Amino acid sequence: MSGVLDIVYAEYNYWIYVTLMMIGFYAMIAKKNLIKKIIGANIFQTAIFLFYISLGEVEGGTAPILVGGHGEHAAEVAHEVIYVNPLPHVLILTAIVVAVSTTAVALALVIRIYQEYGSIEEDVILAARRKLQPEFSEHARLKGGEDE
Amino acid sequence: MKTLALFVVILAGAMLIYAGQDLPAFGDINSPAYQHRMTQYFIENSLSESGVPNIVTALLANYRGYDTLGETTVIFTAGMAVILLLRRREK
Repeated sequence: MSGVLDIVYAEYNYWIYVTLMMIGFYAMIAKKNLIKKIIGANIFQTAIFLFYISLGEVEGGTAPILVGGHGEHAAEVAHEVIYVNPLPHVLILTAIVVAVSTTAVALALVIRIYQEYGSIEEDVILAARRKLQPEFSEHARLKGGEDE
Repeated sequence: MKTLALFVVILAGAMLIYAGQDLPAFGDINSPAYQHRMTQYFIENSLSESGVPNIVTALLANYRGYDTLGETTVIFTAGMAVILLLRRREK
């Protein structure tokens, strides 16, 4: 039993990110409210960011800014210092920007949908859409397929 | 519908936990990603090659400069999409 606990403790960062990912994924699939879906997508993205950053972590490591790298004594950079892995930080910096961009576009789309249908609930929007365009509904499409 | 969603989510989580058992432990200095020579190269040579003490900045703006240029394209495209979606329409 303690062996299992040791495994969980050694990799607890993965458990945290998997839990966060499940919360975000469930919100994306099950919630009808479009804003809640976007919040779920953001939680999902944050889980991925945490996963990458935790992969770069080194025990006892400091931030990847060279100690003694500033000023006149730049040549005397300390070599015995342990730095955390800088590569995941760079990748996630790019990913955060993409995440912000996609969130902005998604929120703008939700604003347009609200202006058009007066609601951000998925089922209300689909019902209004079926009323506007009967050929859009599942039932009519199946029926039309049989006729042709 | 909610039960199906819960099932899919728990299945995905269980698969990730299962796959995560092979990943290196948290803070492990012997992890392949840290011991790889690219990581060691950037930590040792980024100051002499780019003159920036912050390794993340050196990587982002120097070694991955084209990636950052593409990133600005992403922001520009997103901004244009938001403007096109939200501008006032004349009827």
